[in-house]
Formats: sequence, structure tokens, C-alpha cells
Amino acid sequence: MKYAVMSCIHGNYEALNAVLLDIDRQRVDQIYCLGDLVGYGPYPNAVVEMIRSLDIPTCQGCWDEDIVMGLNACECSYPSQLAEKRGRRAHEWTNRMLHPEVREYLAQLPMTLRQGNLCFVHGSPNSQHEYLLPSMHGFAALERVLCAQADVLFCGHTHIPYVRHLRDGKIRVQHSSANPQEFQASVKMIVNAGSVGEPRHGRPNATYVIYDTDTQEVTLREVPYDYQKTCAAILEQGLPPIFAWRLARGMEFAERADDPHHVCQR
Amino acid sequence: MITHWAILSGIEGNLRALEAVLKDLQRQRPPVTTLYVLGDIIGLKGQNDAVVQRLQMPDLEPLEPQICIGWWEEQCFNLFGVGMSGEVPELIAEQGEAAVGQLWESISRSSVQWLRSLPFGFHELDCLLVHGSPVSASEVLTPATSPALLCDRLIRADANQLFCGRSGELFDCWISAEGLTAEVRTLDGTEQQAFELPQRRLIGVGSVGRQLGIASYVLYQPGSNYLKQCVIRY
Repeated sequence: MKYAVMSCIHGNYEALNAVLLDIDRQRVDQIYCLGDLVGYGPYPNAVVEMIRSLDIPTCQGCWDEDIVMGLNACECSYPSQLAEKRGRRAHEWTNRMLHPEVREYLAQLPMTLRQGNLCFVHGSPNSQHEYLLPSMHGFAALERVLCAQADVLFCGHTHIPYVRHLRDGKIRVQHSSANPQEFQASVKMIVNAGSVGEPRHGRPNATYVIYDTDTQEVTLREVPYDYQKTCAAILEQGLPPIFAWRLARGMEFAERADDPHHVCQR
Repeated sequence: MITHWAILSGIEGNLRALEAVLKDLQRQRPPVTTLYVLGDIIGLKGQNDAVVQRLQMPDLEPLEPQICIGWWEEQCFNLFGVGMSGEVPELIAEQGEAAVGQLWESISRSSVQWLRSLPFGFHELDCLLVHGSPVSASEVLTPATSPALLCDRLIRADANQLFCGRSGELFDCWISAEGLTAEVRTLDGTEQQAFELPQRRLIGVGSVGRQLGIASYVLYQPGSNYLKQCVIRY
């Protein structure tokens, strides 16, 4: 079976169309989406309607959750006060624009999807807001896959696609006078699907991944699209111009919280 | 003068147990220089306000108690509408419906206000002292916890020694990890990584008031890493 996995569309309809066309050409059996259908971008309703019309299994992203539950994350979720201000503006705009049925759809999205030994989440199994960065301590990353009770954990949220194989970890627990317990981890994999609508890997192309269950091979896909159209729409809608500026560059390090593991107690 | 810590948790409103432990601390040699109280000061063991007042008393000096919040304090904040959530599902699940009314009746607003001023935990020298875990006051860590989860919590602790009180148990265990290799492939290339976790220590500090008649706590000397588990009957 071939699965296409995408994430972080962020109201970018142009990018979503380009990615769906590319997926068509790859002849996949199933598409999964890891959330963040809305936020930053100018076409939140159109993106959600497209995902719904194609009946793509989707889990809830952090933006989707914030639109439904209200923006109650603490300031730690933003790298600066300016970023927080921009985030709030985008949230308010998206909130105003959303159709009621779209909001209802976002509200009922699950946090986690499962398919055999595969688990699909937006951020991490713990929270839609936790970043699983490729630099995360290997044993911490291993714990995230194990707590998902999976062999392969698909995530998004960082907007940078990667595949990370974790091998041969051994943990030893020595309790007082008892015999030490040793735990040997089997091979695990984390696959980050990158971002369709707001890439941050240094180029403006949309990204997604394809996973082949027979070969366990992961293909990172990069898809060019007319990002200038989305940039123009961002400006027309009165969204912060910096969103267009960084979309046109695939700006790295954008809007990432200082502490990637910080999860607000909500 | 040798730095000598007494670390306790789980008084749970049990004033008699607290008094017994304070008396025991006065007998210790070398003398205890710092007293850490890792949350669960309050609970349903009878005298929450009296325990709060006792910990504020100047006759505890020179111990200068360092006190942080625990699971019971978090339930109390939620109950009084000053917490992260206005609801107490954890309290009901763990202690039953009746506990809601009992906790409400057992503590004054001035005590709640004082409890709210307490921190989540303490990072001191190469030690992290918290009630539950670096993630939350609710999380229970013991040697029986999943090794991968222990590993993660010790990485997050960013300390060689992690003291916690939530389980109410006394334990002293060492966790280490090695041999993990990782390969990260991005659109721009592949990187090889290797990870280990040098030996770290997880210490359960027992419970002063949970079990009537028996109080437990630990003594620790940061200079030598010497740990003593203390159990007293009162």
C-alpha cells in the first residue's frame, strides 16, 4: 500500500491543489492529513471543503484546535511578542471568516489516527503543540513513538519534512538492591510530513511524504506551485504582510516557540 | 558547614505527622540546613489551615522551608476557580465525589492564596525537585514506570538527580541509556546521530502524612550525594 501524508495546509488552496495533483500522479492508495487546515492563509473554508469532499482522514492540528477552543495558549507558544500579535491577528481573521459547518468539522477531528502499526498525529502523541524536531534527543523521540504504541509515527507541525530512523537504544534501570532491568528498543521511525501551505525548509515549494508499507520506504516530495497567487491573496485579505514575505521564501525558523517541548496546561 | 537537605512531600493536612518529622529533623547530625517540601501540603487528613500556618512559622528557621505545589494544591486551585481548569475530574476520579465538598470545607481562602504563590519546583545545584515530574504535578514516577518514559523525564529534568513525591513511595534508582543511533534524512541530505544518557538518579521522597502513624522522608547531602531514607512512627 502507498500512503500520501500531508500536513499544515494553513488555508493555502493553491498549494493544496498542486499537492493533490502530484499525489494523483504518484498513484497512492490512501491520503492522510495531519491537520492545521486553517491559519495564516487566505482560503480556510476552501481548504476544509476540499479535504472533506475527498474524504481524507484528518487529525486535528494546533490551529484547528485553537479556532474551536479559543486562543488560550500562553505566551510561551510564540518566539516573540510581535509573533504573538501576528498570530492573534491571523486567529481573529480566520475566526471571522470560517463557515459554521467548517468550524463543526474542525471540532470533531480526532487527535490521533491509527492504521496498523502506524500512528498519525499533528505535533506529538502528547499534544498538537509539541514540536518533534529532528534534533530532539533520540531517547526522547523514541519515547514519543513508544507511547503512541506504533512502529512509525507520522507528524507535522514543524513545517520541515524529515525521516528519522531510531535504532538499538538500550535503557537500564537499577533500583536499589534489585537486579537491573534492561530495555532494548526495536527499530522505530518518525516521519515528518512537512507543510503543504507554509513550508519552512528554506524554499517556497509545498512538501508532503509518501510511505510504502511493503518496502517501508519514505519519499519526501517537494512540489512547486504558484505561491505568488497565495501571497497576493494574503495581502488582499489584510493578513499580516510578513506571512506573504516568508511564504515566498519558505522561511526557516519562523514562528517556532522557544521551547519546542513546551505544552500549555490548558 | 555541610549542606544537608531534608526533602519531604505528602503532608496532606496531617499536622501530627508534620510535627513528628520536624522533631526528627532537629535531631539530625549534621544539622539539616534546608527543608524542601515537594507539594501535597494539603489533603484530606484533617488540618490543612493548621499545616499551612505551621509551615509559615518563623520557629522553623534557619531551615527556611522551600515549598512547591503538588497534586492536591492543583485540585484545590481548580476547585476554587483559580487554576488552569474550573473542573476537578482528577480529584473525583482519585478520591470520589465526596472529596470535592470535603476539600472545599477544609481550607480557607487565605491559605489558598498563599499556596498560589508557590512555585512548580526547584532547580538547585544539579538537582530538580518537583512533586510529580518535570511535565506535571499529576504524573507519578516510580522505578516501575516505563523505562523510556523515565528516560524522557530525566532528559527534560536537565539534572543529575530528580526528586519527586507524587507516588508517596521511598525509592532510589539509577537510569542510564546508551547505544541509540539515528539517521535523519531531509530534503537537503542525511545526518547520522548517536545518543546516550549518562547515569541519572530518580529519588522518591516518601510521604509524611498519607499513612497514619508512619511518616517517611529523605535526607540528602549534595556534596557527597549521600541519601538516607527515613521512616518514623508517631
